[in-house]
Amino acid sequence: MDRIVVTGMGVISAIGNTVAENRVSLIGGKCGMGSLEMFSSKFSDILPVGEIKISTDTLKEKLNAHEPGVTRTTLLALHTMQEALTDSGSTGSEISAFDTALVSANTVGGMCLTDEMYRDSKKDLPGSEYISSYDYGSVNMYLQKRFAMNGPVNTINTACSSSANAIMYGARLIRSGRAARAIVGGTDSLAKFTINGFNALHILSNEVCTPFDEGRKGLNLGEGAAFLVLEKESDAAGKKIYASLGGYSNANDSFHASSLSDEGIGPYKVMKEALAAAKLDPGAIDFINAHGTGTENNDKVESIAMLRLFEKVPAFASTKANIGHTLGAAGAIEAVFCILNLSHQELYPAVNFNEPIPATGLKPVENYTRKTLTHIMSNSFGFGGNCSSLIFSKA
Amino acid sequence: MFYIHQTSCISPQQTFKDIDINILHEPTDRKLQAIEPSYEAIPPGILRRMGKAVRMGVGAAMPVLQNTPVPDGIIIGTANGGKEDCVKFLNQIIDYEEGLLTPINFVQSTPNAVAAQIGLLTKNHGYNITHLQLGLAFEFAMIDADMLLAEYPLNNYLVGAVDDISTYNYYFEDKQGWYKKESISNKTLYDNNSTGSIAGEAALMFFVNGTRAGAIAKIHAVDTLHHEDESVMKEKLQGFIKRYLPGGEKIDLLLTGENGDNRLLKYYDRCESVVEADVAIARFKHISGEYPTASAMGLWLCCELFQKGSLPGHMIKRKGSAAAYKNVLIYNNYKGIQHSFILLSLP
Repeated sequence: MDRIVVTGMGVISAIGNTVAENRVSLIGGKCGMGSLEMFSSKFSDILPVGEIKISTDTLKEKLNAHEPGVTRTTLLALHTMQEALTDSGSTGSEISAFDTALVSANTVGGMCLTDEMYRDSKKDLPGSEYISSYDYGSVNMYLQKRFAMNGPVNTINTACSSSANAIMYGARLIRSGRAARAIVGGTDSLAKFTINGFNALHILSNEVCTPFDEGRKGLNLGEGAAFLVLEKESDAAGKKIYASLGGYSNANDSFHASSLSDEGIGPYKVMKEALAAAKLDPGAIDFINAHGTGTENNDKVESIAMLRLFEKVPAFASTKANIGHTLGAAGAIEAVFCILNLSHQELYPAVNFNEPIPATGLKPVENYTRKTLTHIMSNSFGFGGNCSSLIFSKA
Repeated sequence: MFYIHQTSCISPQQTFKDIDINILHEPTDRKLQAIEPSYEAIPPGILRRMGKAVRMGVGAAMPVLQNTPVPDGIIIGTANGGKEDCVKFLNQIIDYEEGLLTPINFVQSTPNAVAAQIGLLTKNHGYNITHLQLGLAFEFAMIDADMLLAEYPLNNYLVGAVDDISTYNYYFEDKQGWYKKESISNKTLYDNNSTGSIAGEAALMFFVNGTRAGAIAKIHAVDTLHHEDESVMKEKLQGFIKRYLPGGEKIDLLLTGENGDNRLLKYYDRCESVVEADVAIARFKHISGEYPTASAMGLWLCCELFQKGSLPGHMIKRKGSAAAYKNVLIYNNYKGIQHSFILLSLP
């Protein structure tokens, strides 16, 4: 079987509106966290967030998306899907082909419109223009129509590891012959819903997050989106190939609805299975883009799982220190960052890190480094114990 | 291609225990609401905290998992997940002006809550995923199992579909005109020339693998389409049958998701035109009501058909010439844009 390769990418996050801008920010160790400005919340100045400083109206204008009911979550997806399609040189007929799949993920859908949704859920008030936009599936319903897509269109959820699974599902549609190419990714916008939800769980930090640091106080939420174009290597002849997707795995920690088991059953299992799927030994991994949320639980458990699996833990870091935790978009955004690592043979500095966790002693990459990189692992773990790991390899 | 070995169904009809689908339970307050069992297999302390979708999903899964090998994965299709808890939490945010909130509704509101809770309660560390593509969420769950079983032929999977009527999503759908304004009986669902259908809900679970021995049904293929044009749908359906119906065989029964909404009749008419005039046609939305993953109810009814040999009279739209049903095509349409095609047969 042909390798599955990446032929196009698009990303938007708190540190850049394009792949190129994100790379510049990653090299410079930029931290995109700040005050919430795009909507009002009691927590605007209390809890730092990785917000994209473009208003929803400006996004609509720029993307010529004036249909009623279009949400910020959808607009971020549209912005990056366009970048990925342009980057891959996909033609209109390719995008509309019956064998072009769209698989994406999100965790808030239209629930970014907290107040509108509240009113629409009341019996006697008339419906707003957003009434059909709250579903998670609404993002793809828009993209399918906008790009006149005829192939399989699916929305996936595994909480915070959702878009890693969208990438996997797209790759499997290609492997099984159900699609020739798959446009895969994830999107999420900041919402009162998630800010209050994570805050009620006491896992948000009131300072910038510090993944893998002894003094970490919790995560920062972020927003963003990313899309990749996946194809079979034999179909991509003559195209720019960024990387191949060599291995992947999904497993469940099955310990608790919102925290990971002490020994990291799920994280260990997915890293191990992804290596097996890629037919690689642990020693072949040159870098791990860790899930690294900056919470007490995640970073400790992920470290323990890495120490169990790897004789010598590879270089690792979490880009959530740059952009916050973008939930349903995180797996896809971090996939783009991994591919940037590979295609430029460079590692980015872990920002906000000071002291390692004493029990594990693990230190993320401290400085910008040029390095020979062949295989990179990207971890994503979510509520409900949903763990996933992807392995990207040099083109 | 894969096989269904066990099923479980909590629906508006008597489908969970002492199954009897000849009796037709009617809607109350314009909704076909699920007859919920007492959920003996779920610990009471955990049950109390579960929203309806999670409760029904876990409740339907437990009896299957008590009688089968440990599945290698749990694959759920749902459009709504724990939407009821979502809006409960949202109401707290607004009503208490982002004050001190309890996280339980937030944690339960994630759409992966059904798959995650089944995994947690049965300590299942395998593959675990939730598909959310509205009216095709269950189809993509089935396709997922199909792909996994092609890759790992010895594995077993639990595939399910869950969607509930919550006070909230009911108003979202109702305000968009997807339910009939008039109060009607499901016994006359297909007789009113008007828009909209009746709201329904259910949780269904299917235990599937690649083994023919002892199976209830063989799933030849599942396919999907997003398109508003009925002629594109028809062409896709013809290609689907041609590709997957074994050579020399014919379809004996067409089971459709016709739902009484006159705006969708054109799709069902086209679908019926694809099969020969002597093929039996049956319908199921008067049993299930309309909701995104209702096609799973159609599949469950086919499994009943294969086990019992006949369908209740109230399902039959057109009698066919076949003495027995071997090959069945299920076609479902969601909101005029999402099309589901399932081809199955006796194993």
